[in-house]
Amino acid sequence: MSHVIETKKLCRSFGKEETLVKALSDVNLIIEEGEFTAIIGPSGSGKSTLLQLVGGLDEPTSGDIFLDSKKISQMSGTELSDFRRDHIGFIFQAYNLIPVLSAEENIEYIMLLQNVPAQERSKRVKEILQAVGLQGKENRRPAQLSGGQQQRVAVARAMVSQPRLILADEPTANLDSHTGAALLDMMKQLNEKENMTFVFSTHDPMVMERANRIIKLHDGCIVGDERRSA
Amino acid sequence: MLILKLALRNIQRNRRRSLLTVLSMGGGYFLLSLMLSMTEGSYSNMIDLFTRDHTGHVQIHKSNYLDRPSLFKRINNSAALIALIQEDPQVVSVTARIYGPSLAYGKNKTFPANVIGIDPQRESATTYLKKKVNQGVYLSNGMTVNGYFPAMMGKALAKNLHLNVGDELVLISQGVDGSIANDIFEVVAIVGTSESYERMNVYLSLNGMRQFLSMGGQVHELVISLHHHSLAQKFSENLQSTLQQDDLKVSSWQQVEKVFYKSMQLDKKGNYVSMGIIIFIVSIGVLNTVLMGTLERTREFGVLRAIGTQPVGIFKLIMLESLFLSLVSCFSGLLVSLPVNYWLTVEGIAMPQPVDMGGVLFESMRGEISWFTIGVPALVVIGSTLLVSLIPGIRAARISPLQALQAV
Ligand SMILES: Nc1ncnc2c1ncn2[C@@H]1O[C@H](COP(=O)(O)OP(=O)(O)OP(=O)(O)O)[C@@H](O)[C@H]1O
Ligand SMILES: [Mg+2]
Repeated sequence: MSHVIETKKLCRSFGKEETLVKALSDVNLIIEEGEFTAIIGPSGSGKSTLLQLVGGLDEPTSGDIFLDSKKISQMSGTELSDFRRDHIGFIFQAYNLIPVLSAEENIEYIMLLQNVPAQERSKRVKEILQAVGLQGKENRRPAQLSGGQQQRVAVARAMVSQPRLILADEPTANLDSHTGAALLDMMKQLNEKENMTFVFSTHDPMVMERANRIIKLHDGCIVGDERRSA
Repeated sequence: MLILKLALRNIQRNRRRSLLTVLSMGGGYFLLSLMLSMTEGSYSNMIDLFTRDHTGHVQIHKSNYLDRPSLFKRINNSAALIALIQEDPQVVSVTARIYGPSLAYGKNKTFPANVIGIDPQRESATTYLKKKVNQGVYLSNGMTVNGYFPAMMGKALAKNLHLNVGDELVLISQGVDGSIANDIFEVVAIVGTSESYERMNVYLSLNGMRQFLSMGGQVHELVISLHHHSLAQKFSENLQSTLQQDDLKVSSWQQVEKVFYKSMQLDKKGNYVSMGIIIFIVSIGVLNTVLMGTLERTREFGVLRAIGTQPVGIFKLIMLESLFLSLVSCFSGLLVSLPVNYWLTVEGIAMPQPVDMGGVLFESMRGEISWFTIGVPALVVIGSTLLVSLIPGIRAARISPLQALQAV
């Protein structure tokens, strides 16, 4: 079994001297294929920072990050852009979508960046819209969708090019519990069906209920790592 | 393709702002095009008037004649030259002239006169001289019934000498052989007004002039009229090189009327300054729009960057949006300016008082519709918009996705 992600002595600090904040210190972490992992911890514990580093949005102060044994911690800006495009799916807390593009076009966008042929694109868009339960809404703009539907589009966009890893930073924080639960169940299903690897950061107990691994962060350090078979 | 779609939709997003931008850029286009049209049209009209009045579009002389005219700087093979030039399809007509400054004498008064020998037929095809006859009949080649060579006089000279049609005119000058030239001529016509270019001129036929100055078949000047004055420079360069005669100088009207041409160029430069000011004002408005439009989309650019769009992609998007806006602006500016310019071209604006420039009267200001007056404002508007968009474009492209995502 291959490691999707491995971090070695990962450190990230902000500021200098008196104002120095160690957001992450010496984080050693391995994420395996097919995991549905929740990262939890109090506010300011470094959850978002960890996801951003792993997703190639930020660069570590020291330490290394490997995706499929490929070192990403020393990639250049353009390399990181392509890395994110091809290997990472992002879901943020809110405002994930491009408001002037329809649901379908938002999903299609990444495949256009990847030069996927038109026929293949429309086939995959159709499949994924079905999978997230948004068939019939493909031509709606984000403003014409509910918050939960928008997050489903974001999930669809994150998954459509079949990345190695999907990173979701508090994806349910802006949703009511019912909508949030439905979104999570859907992601869990996709995780099980496609063996897609998910990593969440969350305060939401509903996420924790569904996760098969829970990593606890405190002041930038891993203080707990619990696996369970859901 | 997708980036085109994105750009087009982003423009429609804040319609009010886009509309205001289009209005200001379109207004800029309109003003620029109007100014260019008026200056180009007015000057074109002016050039046309005076080149057709007497200068012609291209002239040929012995080298250095224009700077230091002399009786002795003469063109020998004028007939062959005329035949050669006439073959060019750009040429409307060619005519020859001989100049002989003289003393004119009539009814007890003497005045210096500029005596010019012309080919009556060719001259009337080349310039307006024939149309300017206001008393008597236009010059002919032969002798009058009284056995004199005919002469036409400028109005001021005729008045000064108290001469009328039918009177005798005595001219005194220096012949080419050094002898004193002196002859009696019969006034057959009075030309122009007391202010016009030919007011102190006397026109003789080439025959009469040659007899008067005891010279052979040579001339001082060949005057060429083309289909349009804009052809002059290129034509004269070509002719100069085909002639392969070092002692002949082909000059376009720009060289012949140097003083006028220079003051016109200067005037145009002054116009470019006011155009620059217009464009500057429009550009500030555009910069404001584009900056606002990118700042409020910071988070969106963050998302685009996070999911793998390269910085160049963001930059292209912003430039494309500006390009679309400026294209729409130019198009709407064109829609408004075309009819206005057309009206100015056809009707013109009558000047409150005719302006006299070097003896030629200008009665109206005119517009001109050409690729220049349509294209240059478009290039300027599009160019300045793109230039101004570089700053927000580069800013947006360089922002880190993380920072952009944290800005809500
Ligand atoms: N750009 C930054 N500049 C300075 N400090 C930062 C920056 N980003 C994060 N930090 C600091 O790093 C620490 C970890 O922040 P992080 O956002 O990862 O926390 P979190 O666990 O995601 O918190 P929350 O649950 O509130 O989202 C915090 O102390 C935060 O103040
Ligand atoms: Mg966070």
